[in-house]
Amino acid sequence: MKKLIKHIGLAALALSLHSGAVLADEFLVGEDEPLTGALARVGMGMHEGISVAVEVFNQTNGKHTVKVLTEDNESSPAKAIAAVEKLASQGVVAFTGGYGSNNIGPASDAANKLGLPYITSGGVDNGLVQRGYKTFFRINNTAGYQKAMVGVLDDMKVKSASVIYSTKEATAHLAEDVEKDLTAKGMKVGMHPFDPGISDFKPIVNKVRLRDKSDVILMVGYENDYVGILRAAKVLKPDVKAMIGVWSLATPKMAADFPDLMPKVYGTALLPYPATFKTEEGKRFYDAYKKLYKKDPDYLGQFGYVQSMILFNAIARAADKGTIKSGGIAQELAATDANTLIGRVQFTNGDNLNFVHHMGQHQGDRIQIVWPKDAATADMQYPGVPW
Amino acid sequence: MTDLILQALYSGLLQGGSYALIALGLALVFGTTKVINLAHGELVLLAAYIAYTVESGLGVNPVLAIPAALVIVCISAVIMYFLVSMVKTDRELNSLILTYGLGVILTNAILLIWSADIRSTSSAWLQDAIVVGPLYSMRSEPMFFIVSVVLMGGLWWWLSRSWYGRAVRAVAGNRDAARLMGINPRRTELVSFVIAGILASFAGVAIFSYGVIQPSLGHVLTIKAFVITVLAGIGSIPGVLVGALLLGVAEALTVTLASSALQELVGMILFLLVLFVMPNGLFGRAGRRG
Repeated sequence: MKKLIKHIGLAALALSLHSGAVLADEFLVGEDEPLTGALARVGMGMHEGISVAVEVFNQTNGKHTVKVLTEDNESSPAKAIAAVEKLASQGVVAFTGGYGSNNIGPASDAANKLGLPYITSGGVDNGLVQRGYKTFFRINNTAGYQKAMVGVLDDMKVKSASVIYSTKEATAHLAEDVEKDLTAKGMKVGMHPFDPGISDFKPIVNKVRLRDKSDVILMVGYENDYVGILRAAKVLKPDVKAMIGVWSLATPKMAADFPDLMPKVYGTALLPYPATFKTEEGKRFYDAYKKLYKKDPDYLGQFGYVQSMILFNAIARAADKGTIKSGGIAQELAATDANTLIGRVQFTNGDNLNFVHHMGQHQGDRIQIVWPKDAATADMQYPGVPW
Repeated sequence: MTDLILQALYSGLLQGGSYALIALGLALVFGTTKVINLAHGELVLLAAYIAYTVESGLGVNPVLAIPAALVIVCISAVIMYFLVSMVKTDRELNSLILTYGLGVILTNAILLIWSADIRSTSSAWLQDAIVVGPLYSMRSEPMFFIVSVVLMGGLWWWLSRSWYGRAVRAVAGNRDAARLMGINPRRTELVSFVIAGILASFAGVAIFSYGVIQPSLGHVLTIKAFVITVLAGIGSIPGVLVGALLLGVAEALTVTLASSALQELVGMILFLLVLFVMPNGLFGRAGRRG
């Protein structure tokens, strides 16, 4: 009897140790995200991509699983710091997420002080990678957007451009970088910064119409700014040949919500619409996204997915090497060389210098990639404006 | 250059009309109850989202959403009043904190119901350009400018000619004396909140008709309304219109003659200048307490 009890005891101990090992292989990852406040929409988009990455990673890795704990930073830098600290206290091994350089900056500062890696695709301000942190990584940057804007203007062979841009940090930097590039190419550039609180863009567009008389208008802002600028332009009808924006513009959502404003408008886009994926991973992402959210993925989901998959794979590699607690995740991230849905990702001082965005154009009920040529799904419709 | 300035003046006037419509409700409640309703912008935003729901759900012009907006926003304003009236001590300060909290609750309720996506009317009729010589605008802008002026005229008439309007002014001037005259201060304050709700309903539908709305817009509207209320002088209805037009024109001229990046700064400088030089506002009476 005593022997039997001993055997049962040993079996129970073995089982408990086994289940402990399984639990130890599930890693907690923190998501710092603006789910409410001014950046709620983009934050939700990123969150969807991160959730899809969890789903795909847990199904495909076989050995390790991840669980994401999400904290809403309410689009506020102070709350972003609090989110990072709270998540760290809950035992996360790294962070994914963030949107807006002004939120990501302090949040990744806090993560760096805690010695935890922070990966994002929501902060394009160059200051973020100039801090020299070994724990900060981003998969996109201003330069990638700049190359797309300047590249498409090169193809259009325009001689003058008016840049209407928000004075927010990331948008202002991008606009200034684009201006430098265009001026160096001998192009005449008119700069029109606007306060993010502005709601009537007619006085600005009127300056473009009567004073600048440019070939194209470049818009560097966010969705509400684009709608305001395009509305004003539709009323004033400046004699331009194209309306070109950056993020959040060439999306199916904008086409569906503002069908009168979008025709022939350009914006950065990783995917054509309807989305087509040729790679195995792309198809996996698309299927998982459709299953979870019953809609087609957009660029935010794609960025959130890519950054999180890179992080989860780095965690898995560090776990295999037993270096999770000795800075292994950051080392694995730094050593990343992966072909992803946004192209090849490698990190140099935390920045992915390979990143080049594509330029899409709303054409009928589709979004076609029109730049660069090797990724194009259709020719650009130029000249062309929504009015 | 002349065309630029003319367009700036025109755009500024239309924008000022919109500001006046937003500010009027806040100014009325502030003037009569000494409560700074920091959730007023959220009431305006609620009306804007009702306009969106009616347009997207029924496929009709958002202007037709005004009756629905009136009912829902006025009920919200009444609830707000009852909550504010529960504040018994240090009313001016505590109601400030309470209405701020109500604003946060409303913002998040809007976020939950309508999501964080930006919204704007899809009505081509409201957005079509109206061109008068060198002046351009969307059809909805002059339309709601006229609505704004008419509502302001109506409110001014109501306050100065009707019994209830006079009662509201009496309570604003001296609550105890008004009570001795047989006026029920609670009822007149409630009426002020309801009128503010009516004004917020029109303002919300107007904003949706020519602008872009999103859940975080509410506090921006409240700040703008507060600046105009102080510019105008507490309790001055014509002052709200003048203050709003002044702000709208100053902002539009700044964009045209200098930089649009300075637009908000100019508004704040104007606000501070008036506070320093005319502490009672442009049309406020000396001795009136704010």
